[in-house]
Amino acid sequence: MPKNYREVVSNIIDHEVVYLPSQLIVDFNKCTGCRICELACSAKHEGKFQPSLARLKIIRYDDLGIDIPNVCGPCETAPCVDICPVFAMRRDPITKMTYIDEDMCILCKSCVGACVNGVILLDTVKMRIIKCDHCGGDPECAKACPTGAITYGPDTSLATVDRHGKILSYMKEIERTDKVHETGAE
Amino acid sequence: MAGGYTGKILRVNLTEEKFKIETLPDEWIKPYIGGDGFGAKLLFEELPAGIDPLSEQNKLIIATGPITGTMWPMSGRTVLISKAPLTGIWGESHVGGFLGAELKYAGYDMLVIEGKSEKPVYIDIHDSDLQLRDAKNKWGFTTDTVTTAIKKDKHDPDVQVAAIGPAGERKVRYASVMINHARAAGRTGMGAVLGSKNVKAIAIRGHGAVEVHDLEGFMKFAKEGHMRVRTNPIAQEMSKVGTWGLVAVKQEIGELPTFNHQTGVFDGWEKLSGDYIRPRYTIGDRACFGCSLGCKKVNYIQDGPFAGTLEEGPEYEGLMAFGSLLGIDDFATTLKANQICNRYGMDIISAGSTIAFAIEAFVKGAITEKDTGGLKLEWGNREQLIKLLEMIGERDGFGALLAEGSKRAADSLGRGTAKFAIHVKGMEVSGQDGRTHRSIALGHATGARGADHLRSLVVVDQLGYEDVAAKRWGADKLPEIIDPYTEKYKANAVFESENAYCIRDTLIVCWYTVSWPPIFWMEDFAKILPLATGENYFSKVENLTEIAERQVTLKRLFNAREGITKKDDSLPDRFTKDPMPEGPGKGQTVDLEPMLRDYYTLRGWDLETGLPTDKTMKRLSLEWTKAHS
Repeated sequence: MPKNYREVVSNIIDHEVVYLPSQLIVDFNKCTGCRICELACSAKHEGKFQPSLARLKIIRYDDLGIDIPNVCGPCETAPCVDICPVFAMRRDPITKMTYIDEDMCILCKSCVGACVNGVILLDTVKMRIIKCDHCGGDPECAKACPTGAITYGPDTSLATVDRHGKILSYMKEIERTDKVHETGAE
Repeated sequence: MAGGYTGKILRVNLTEEKFKIETLPDEWIKPYIGGDGFGAKLLFEELPAGIDPLSEQNKLIIATGPITGTMWPMSGRTVLISKAPLTGIWGESHVGGFLGAELKYAGYDMLVIEGKSEKPVYIDIHDSDLQLRDAKNKWGFTTDTVTTAIKKDKHDPDVQVAAIGPAGERKVRYASVMINHARAAGRTGMGAVLGSKNVKAIAIRGHGAVEVHDLEGFMKFAKEGHMRVRTNPIAQEMSKVGTWGLVAVKQEIGELPTFNHQTGVFDGWEKLSGDYIRPRYTIGDRACFGCSLGCKKVNYIQDGPFAGTLEEGPEYEGLMAFGSLLGIDDFATTLKANQICNRYGMDIISAGSTIAFAIEAFVKGAITEKDTGGLKLEWGNREQLIKLLEMIGERDGFGALLAEGSKRAADSLGRGTAKFAIHVKGMEVSGQDGRTHRSIALGHATGARGADHLRSLVVVDQLGYEDVAAKRWGADKLPEIIDPYTEKYKANAVFESENAYCIRDTLIVCWYTVSWPPIFWMEDFAKILPLATGENYFSKVENLTEIAERQVTLKRLFNAREGITKKDDSLPDRFTKDPMPEGPGKGQTVDLEPMLRDYYTLRGWDLETGLPTDKTMKRLSLEWTKAHS
């Protein structure tokens, strides 16, 4: 027997959705794969040119002629925060940026493995976790990108995710009022 | 160690299967800077005169400069240096891509490959983990397949691979080394040197850093430099159509080499122009390391006989070599031909030019079907071009003769075919014509590696930038110095440009930063070099000029040791005797002698022999070379 509509709706789990004020937005159609962003990032944070310690990564597919920038975020649900066993990786309540508290970090590398973009690194020389912090709201990579493939700002596409959450809560509200008042709402 | 350098030279001895790490001599930095300079110094000292370029004794150097791998615009370039199989003299080939930066991140300024391996190997450099790995199962692979295979072997897509294809294995005289699938160290046959050493590829992965002397000042100037590139109108045009834009310019001034340089006007030029190609074929823009220009175009052919071809390139030189030079007015054919050259690992200019030589010799009756193995060679035949390229890559039948380059092919054919071989010192002439652009005639004739458009090409005179010319060479030399049809003052322009390009090749930065009209010139190099290295000697343009002069003369001494004299600084009769038949430059020929004499005087070389005088050698502190002669 097919599930009725109400059952289906009530089975949808409402994910914790976080609205991100500003984030790095990538348009890989514009990326030429020049890796200036990696250079600018490592120069700013490490004081030297070392792309292997950059907080973002360009993956080049020479055989296909495609270059894809991997940057930190946007993560409405952040695996690095979820997986951290000691709560060293947390989300800033105002900027919603995930950040690492190095004093608490036990270098378990869980976040390195969990990051879907592969941009959290373990620096095996200085033994620390390296993670993008959007340069405190003024990212160097976006400023250095010559083609506008990486930009920084609020992303309008997030509205869909947001709306999805709103509709779910709206439908749950209808269900709740129906149960209470037996209005027979569909 | 000065900033910008890693301070280490990595040597691979293939015969003994050993790696050795040496310290970069501090005393090299001031007189040679890096890149080409280090390569010239090392090769001159270590290579005995008169050896066979394809023998075990030859060495191949991969060199970088002090700003390779930094954020300075377009600084990701690398140079491959060796004694050239194509010409038997000084050989160098610059290449973009990501190899040089990766070599520096791995911790080495230079890689020197010596000896000869018994079996096919590939050199695997992973930071300090150095291995020679078996490449028996990769021998015979095309360059793209071997690159993918090595990345798969290493489980790392970020490994940078320089690979040779079947052409390099078969020692085609103009075999190239391919990087990132479509970046070619094309000219002079570096692929054949690797092939002769049984090295299929070099794989590099580095996690280290390049540190500059004054990061803050360096970054400030580098960012300003990037903005200059981004706002330069010609650079903006180049990021749209790359070097294809040149086709229309060359056609307009009557310098688009057509039918093996017989004329400079090509009727079908429009189908090879950037404005025609980009909207029809281009699907993406790509860049080399640290470049904000992005001149590489990814193209896809949707229909016709070459449907389904997906490849980067070709450059203007490719459109010329497989297009106008052979009378083909079809971009799809040039893209397919470019793809075959990339996969087999062959230089497009020499390949196209050698085929053009064969076609002209056939059309004019000097050779027959007996020589070509039944092929009826003709201008504008698209399928035939693809077939010939595959035959060259396989060294199959007539292709085996063409694989030797036009000079050697003409020598073995005889019968007056030499006049169809358009080369200088054995290297085929690139897509310029001295008859409509006198300074390039001098550049072709005096270039250290043969007919070379990348070491001294003056564009200021060709395109008539009066203000740049006045600023650089003095208003008193106007208007002759920017008149492309006179020999007067051309040596001054070539001399000055060659010096600046020498510094460019030691840093190493891309040719497009110093081209039409230059975004950066000597004074910018004099500003960035001290910031990068902390060496104040580099902050004066006259010091840089002296370094450049030293380098040009050192390469000349290298060639002199191999028997090059003034008589080799010549041009094919086509440019000096056959007047340009049509176009704006109709009736023009080149009178080389006066330009040569001016040039020798400026360089301090003997007017009769063309060799550096003792006085010049003393002035440039090159007397050490005498111990190695």
